[in-house]
Amino acid sequence: MSNGIPLAEALARYRADADLGPLPELADIDALLNTYHPDHLRDSVIKLTVGANAGDNCQRELAGLLQAEAFIDEADLAGTPVTDVDVLVIGGGGAGCAAALAAAENGARVLLATKLRLGDSNTVMAEGGIQAAIEPDDSVQRHIQDTLRGGHHAANPALVSAMASDGPEVLRWLIDQGMQFEQTPSGDLHTRRAGGMSTARLVHCRDYTGLEMMRVLREAVIQHRSIEVWEQSPAVELLSNETGQKCVGAVLTSLLDGQLRIVRTRSVILATGGLGRLHLNGFPTSNHLGATGDGLVLAYRIGARLCELDSFQYHPTGMLHPSHLAGKLVTEGVRAAGALLVNGLGNRFIDELQPRDVVCAAILRECSEGRGIRIDAQRVGVWLDTPRMERAQPGLLEKQFPNLMARTHVGGIDPRIEPLLIHPTLHYQNGGAVIDVNGATTVPGLYAVGEVAGGIHGRNRITGNALLEIISFGRRAGIAATTNRDRGPKKVTLEHVNRLRRALTLAGLPMTQRAPQILPDYAAGGAWNR
Amino acid sequence: MEPLIVETPQVGASQVLLHADRRVGADMERWRNSGGGTAVARAIQNPAGIREEVRLSELRGLGGSGFPAWRKWEAVSAETPKPDKYLIVNGNEDEPGTFKDRLLLEETPFQVIEGAVVTALAIGANRVVFYVNPDLTRSLAAMKAALKQWQASEFPVQTSAALGMPLELKLLPGSGHYIGGEETASMEWVEGRFPFPRGKPPYPAQSGVHGCPTLINNVETIANVPHIAVQGAAWFRALGIAPGTGTKLYSLSGDVLYPGVFELPMGTPLRELIFTHGGGLLSGKPLKAVFTGGPSSTLLTPVDLDVAMDFDSLRARGANLGTGAMIVISEGTGIVKRVAEYERFFAHSSCGQCNSCKVGTATMSRLLDRIDTGRGTPSDLNTLENLCTMLPGSGRCHLINGAVALLDSAFHHFHDEFKQALR
Amino acid sequence: MSLTTHEKGQPVALTINGLAVDASTDMTLVEAAWHGGVPRITNIGCMEGVCGSCRVMLRRGKEVSVGLACQTFVEDGIEVVFMPPASAPQHHYDIGDLKDGWDIHARFHKIFPEASRCRHCHGCNTACPKGIAVEDGVALAAAGRYREAGETFFECIMCELCDAACPELIAPAHVGLFSRRVTAHFHLRPPNLIHRLEELRQAHAIAPQDKKDEEENHADWPAR
Repeated sequence: MSNGIPLAEALARYRADADLGPLPELADIDALLNTYHPDHLRDSVIKLTVGANAGDNCQRELAGLLQAEAFIDEADLAGTPVTDVDVLVIGGGGAGCAAALAAAENGARVLLATKLRLGDSNTVMAEGGIQAAIEPDDSVQRHIQDTLRGGHHAANPALVSAMASDGPEVLRWLIDQGMQFEQTPSGDLHTRRAGGMSTARLVHCRDYTGLEMMRVLREAVIQHRSIEVWEQSPAVELLSNETGQKCVGAVLTSLLDGQLRIVRTRSVILATGGLGRLHLNGFPTSNHLGATGDGLVLAYRIGARLCELDSFQYHPTGMLHPSHLAGKLVTEGVRAAGALLVNGLGNRFIDELQPRDVVCAAILRECSEGRGIRIDAQRVGVWLDTPRMERAQPGLLEKQFPNLMARTHVGGIDPRIEPLLIHPTLHYQNGGAVIDVNGATTVPGLYAVGEVAGGIHGRNRITGNALLEIISFGRRAGIAATTNRDRGPKKVTLEHVNRLRRALTLAGLPMTQRAPQILPDYAAGGAWNR
Repeated sequence: MEPLIVETPQVGASQVLLHADRRVGADMERWRNSGGGTAVARAIQNPAGIREEVRLSELRGLGGSGFPAWRKWEAVSAETPKPDKYLIVNGNEDEPGTFKDRLLLEETPFQVIEGAVVTALAIGANRVVFYVNPDLTRSLAAMKAALKQWQASEFPVQTSAALGMPLELKLLPGSGHYIGGEETASMEWVEGRFPFPRGKPPYPAQSGVHGCPTLINNVETIANVPHIAVQGAAWFRALGIAPGTGTKLYSLSGDVLYPGVFELPMGTPLRELIFTHGGGLLSGKPLKAVFTGGPSSTLLTPVDLDVAMDFDSLRARGANLGTGAMIVISEGTGIVKRVAEYERFFAHSSCGQCNSCKVGTATMSRLLDRIDTGRGTPSDLNTLENLCTMLPGSGRCHLINGAVALLDSAFHHFHDEFKQALR
Repeated sequence: MSLTTHEKGQPVALTINGLAVDASTDMTLVEAAWHGGVPRITNIGCMEGVCGSCRVMLRRGKEVSVGLACQTFVEDGIEVVFMPPASAPQHHYDIGDLKDGWDIHARFHKIFPEASRCRHCHGCNTACPKGIAVEDGVALAAAGRYREAGETFFECIMCELCDAACPELIAPAHVGLFSRRVTAHFHLRPPNLIHRLEELRQAHAIAPQDKKDEEENHADWPAR
């Protein structure tokens, strides 16, 4: 079986008006997922040996980082400058900003430390929109049900309920901060229906929802008198109290001068986002450069329980071409607007609005069975038929998807004329740190919000819940963090690191790898000296 | 900057522009009594002759370019009015450390006016604009008073008759922007727009104000013209130290005992300016460096003390006489802070037309500020060095070139001091 | 599938941060920087032109311009310098302080006093990597037309290159963002959202036990 149809040939053969044939029956979803979805790849999942999730399944490469050596020792902290704050937020995306603003609104002095620039995040790239049950024929209950079902009923219903209930108020808060949304002529918020939703619930700002949200939140944080922001300042370790049971701060480093800094605080809120830049299972990713799962590593090391560590969302439509956009998303909204998936033989092969994991598996099946379109041996994909959609709805792409048009234009491609070559891309971490409805992890003093937290999306996130989650739980944790009224840590230690070292040694695990990753190796270039 | 003390030179040195007889302010009577007006008569008689004397004198552009004045004069003279011809006398003096033009305007306004009128007659210009930095209130007041007396005198009728059309003189305060001193920018302001440099070609001689042939000369250059017209080129040449000709107003400032304006032979050695006339360095500290010209140029250091301060000798050293400003710093002064201060001036002065200049100077200024205040990183220093390589020649005018030349030179001589300042 | 897999394009030699780098066509400046091992570049983010982090100054021949590294492809002989992060904003306001919006015009000019002093140098327009008509946007805001000004800045990624390019220190990107924010803050009152918020407010006002009974009853009703 050949490895697919060469790109040039497939482009020459392509016709926007060709007959696509009937949509084949989707017989056995489980079989499809089990055979083709990357989560089910043989050898991609192992069991963790040490830590709060010992014995649980975990993706192999992630397990390597969770069970890795720390960067620093107590000795490294001698003479390190110390800063005391009420709340430390680690991460400068949507969740981090929401948490910082909520904490500051409640009177806390907040330090927000981010690895890159404030706003460098996955949030800023989000295109689809944010879910909230605001239409008359919709309800919070329905939103909850859609979310639970989409996640294959593995999520924590209390968390899903909290998030869905927060939906309308989250929108109000965002509008109050200055965020715009698309409106209908009558002034209602325009809602779209997308994958995994039983009704129209996705509120958006053309296909720039994440950018619109991030620039507003970033400005609000910068302007806030009680929030200090440290950029280029990744966390390399959390700090625990003398028994190693409570989180009392963090050790940050500077990407600019390599110096360490200690932050002592009553509450740490992890908002470190995803881990796409670990390129699990060798996949390209849609994620921004800093998405290396640092928060997950730090949380696990201090003893937090995690969940769903073998479940990752691969977004079906990651661009394959041009190469500088490899892995970057074409929003699901394009499929929701009617664009179809077409294989190298010119046929449809799956209902485009099935949940993402199903669509991914179907695409991977087409590629694996020789019906894909090939650039080279490693890069095979299928068409996202945007020209056909443009024929049916002229001007839609330019009006509704300016972000897509801008990005492809830079690479010399016009989606109105040429179909987009796509392939599943590592997009989202479904699981993460176990939290309660206030974002509190199982470790006192430590909160986790946003993509780094788990238990909300089960084993598959539906579109629009990520932008809701970051604000909903960001604010909950920000408020909860200010209710901690103790006198602050007397002593900050790395006791939890010793505990992990002991466990690793006794388990006979290698200690050669160090974590967190901070930046992918191809980008480290001397910025972060290991 | 306020004009500082004008120092009486040592016995034996010649003084022309700042001679006591010239420094009469807006007193037309006294100006006439010391020979004022003779040059106008010569120009009426023989305009071509004036141009020839200026050529032989090798008078240079004293506002910074060092360009032989006669070449621009000939170019404008050869053009036909369209229907006018303009002379702009550039008194927009605004850079740190230069304060000679304001002195000439305030204390010798008739010398400047006569020089301008002679020039206009020589090249056939019927419109003369005295373009003065609006912050120089005393200079403006003196010129206003002097021009009023001039207009009431016999000169307007005489000169217009000689020209064959009305010779109009106008006093125009500038916009207050440093960039307005750039040749083509001054023309924009005269035409009533923000003084953005136009870039060349076209050259002002062919197409300047309202498309008419235009000559732009610095105040000091113009102030020399009456004397060359009356006394001749040979006399003028003899005043200087070859290859320099004539005298030069050097603006001396910084860590010296006697800061001020010194009129000395063109080509006077730096050492003499600083130690003989300037009284040496404060507290007897050793000389560290001299910022020349404006300070848009390379630094001079102690090894350069014997260089002759004329255009050609300094160019041979890779430096630039510029306006003749010499800002002296001793070992007691930090280079980083001073360079940061001057780059801040450039960043502030960039007109904004060219991204390379505005963003370039703004970035340089910010990084230097970080380094100077203990927040600089090796990466910041590296970026500054790379900008020095990238930016020269990238703007429509020379502002960015000067800004880079200064920083590049400071790196060359004092790199360690910058490195020490990093955190 | 590694990020550095590439079609083998034509070889290209360029300079990044003073280092000679060998790359190939179809690489962006970011990819070339990584490929060449250029150290200490930390201002890279989304790599798809939407976060505004990767600001560079570029020299092609005699022309120096500004742009985004992830949106610029390598060219033979091009010189690239990655810019340092933008400085802290100089204009301060709290959107919660803006009262009812009737005096927004006066407040705007108090917060952004430079906005009425544009000298029309067009530097901001030239600097913008998204082709936004920045100067027009600022003029609209200065004239009190915030909705239109905000719409002009719709695609703004807050790279703040226009801020760096402005000789009057107007901070156009922040003027644009302010315009967008006040438009939403004061004018966005969607009936469907307001209606649902009121419903939820009333539901929470009911005593907890009654509320529980209500919820159980609702579960028997078909979806509306």
